[in-house]
Amino acid sequence: MNRIEIDRDACTSCQTCYDACFVDVYRWDDENDQPLVAYPEDCVGCNKCELECPAECIKVDIDFAGIYWPEVV
Amino acid sequence: MAALESLGTVLKADLLIVGGGIAGLACAISAKEADPEVDVLIVDKVVAGWGGKANKGGGNIVFVDPAELGGVLDFHVHNVGDFLEDQDLLMDFARETRPDLERLESWGVHIYRDDAGEPKYVRWLPEHPWRLAVLDQDLTLNMAKHARKLGVRIQDRVEIIDLLKDGHRVCGAIGFGMIDGACVVAEAGAVVLANGNQCFKLMPRWSSAGGEGIAAAYRAGAAMRGAEFGNFINWVFADTKEVCQGAEDCMYNAKGENISKRVRPVLESDVHSKEVVEWWKEMKAGNGPIVANMIENYVNNEIVPAFHEDALAVRPVSMRFWGLTIGKAMAGSTVQSPMQPVIPGLNAELSPVKVDHDMATTLPGLFAIGDVCYAGTCLAGAVPAPPGRMRGSGLGFATYSGVRCAPAAVAAARAAAGRPDAGQAEGLKARMFAPLDRDGMTAPEMVRAVQDVMVPVGYSISKRADRMGEALGKVLELKAKVPTLAAKDPHYLAACHVAESMVLGAEMFYRASLARQESRGWHLREDFPQRDDTNWLKWIELRDADGEMELSLEDVPVASYPLQPGAEAAG
Repeated sequence: MNRIEIDRDACTSCQTCYDACFVDVYRWDDENDQPLVAYPEDCVGCNKCELECPAECIKVDIDFAGIYWPEVV
Repeated sequence: MAALESLGTVLKADLLIVGGGIAGLACAISAKEADPEVDVLIVDKVVAGWGGKANKGGGNIVFVDPAELGGVLDFHVHNVGDFLEDQDLLMDFARETRPDLERLESWGVHIYRDDAGEPKYVRWLPEHPWRLAVLDQDLTLNMAKHARKLGVRIQDRVEIIDLLKDGHRVCGAIGFGMIDGACVVAEAGAVVLANGNQCFKLMPRWSSAGGEGIAAAYRAGAAMRGAEFGNFINWVFADTKEVCQGAEDCMYNAKGENISKRVRPVLESDVHSKEVVEWWKEMKAGNGPIVANMIENYVNNEIVPAFHEDALAVRPVSMRFWGLTIGKAMAGSTVQSPMQPVIPGLNAELSPVKVDHDMATTLPGLFAIGDVCYAGTCLAGAVPAPPGRMRGSGLGFATYSGVRCAPAAVAAARAAAGRPDAGQAEGLKARMFAPLDRDGMTAPEMVRAVQDVMVPVGYSISKRADRMGEALGKVLELKAKVPTLAAKDPHYLAACHVAESMVLGAEMFYRASLARQESRGWHLREDFPQRDDTNWLKWIELRDADGEMELSLEDVPVASYPLQPGAEAAG
């Protein structure tokens, strides 16, 4: 499973990561005004959240070996 | 019977567009340009402009220079569509590709031009009449901004599951909020489906395409067409599953034999199922792994750098996206050699909603554009589309179909009367939320089970009646389990509906593939290895008939087209 790390001290609560994720991995934690990585199991490693974060406080560590792949042959 | 208002939040618009990717945005903008007073509402399951696939691909779009239009049809029928094209629609598309570049630019999309003002481009192959223009991958964000400026309303984070009707006429949709899970009912004069095709979620970057729009249209009674071509593959590196462009022409087996040359002695337009079959035979014979010789990889060495190293244009968004994505894949690779093991990666691109030249489906009030209906147009012929062995045609067709659809959809919306049947809506609401009230199979379990039936080459690429029958049997077993799908929250509720759509898509694919008893284009039957123009210049249609998938055939009106296969044989 991919691992998403957020530097909470650097986060500016701009919600870009929340908007950019096209597979609904993020939710917004209104109480703390911070992104919540609610469904990391569905992260597909598109890197959009990492790329678009203005504060550059997100890192996506992609687990290539963990990608499910049925028997092809 | 409950009133619509008692079922949930009611959204109203003249024109409802489901999906805020490139096709939906092109249609919304075109509708407002045609009629500024028309009330257009886009709903998107995530965020319009960010979602979809257009901003995660190569950043290229096909166009044909007007001076080269004459070569398009002949090239296409002989290299791509194998006479199953709607030749009239194909040529209309080709003619519009150049004006569509100007349209996109006027909507805020950055297309790169040379000093003379002509679009910069590359060709996949030197003789290829289709050119690839380059654009930056903030295209849909810029289009969403432009759409808002024109007054298009956008409702994000609403997942649409089913269509609402007044009699046979589609006049709305029902879904739920992705965050709060609350029911949303949308009423509209006309509905445009623009929420992507069915990719079976194997390849990560295309996993937003869950086929919900296809499933909704099918359940509402719309006809499907061309479902047997829902088996596109990209070659991928075996370790990282990142796409290996160009592997098709430089594959070697463990004996050091070039297996690509057996089936592709000369460079061809993009990947083809035939080299997948060759890969599969070699693997079964114990001659694997099959490696791509990256030193000999023409596409990777000659074509891809034109985009990804920004030789044509410095594209800030694309450069960062591909730099990071490819960089991580290379860092994660376990093979430090030019001989890279490759495997087929199923993208599928099942896009079967049948539409006419106005992008109208067979249901009054319902339209479809973009990846929902690319194969359903029959524009591309006997090939999965997009890309339809024509890279960049995904963005091109999405733009074209969105523009083409808008006038007819606005007219339909303006002429509409009546409201959704509240009783129907109540039943659909109960069906939609049912997974929240039960324990059973989870969506991820179902997704993997469908992938297990779609991915094996012996089922979905090298087709044969007995093996496809076995695959269809497994699909029907999964179909029987759909009523047990269970979800704990709105996120997984959406996943359940995607999983259900995947099962339906797999059934469409195997039923249509079994029916087409010939080999043509991308569709390869071991048991019917020849193209059969006597019996199979036909399109296969599927539709729901009281819960059963009913199949029928439609003659390709090839006699009315400029090119006929008989003339080809005579010539």
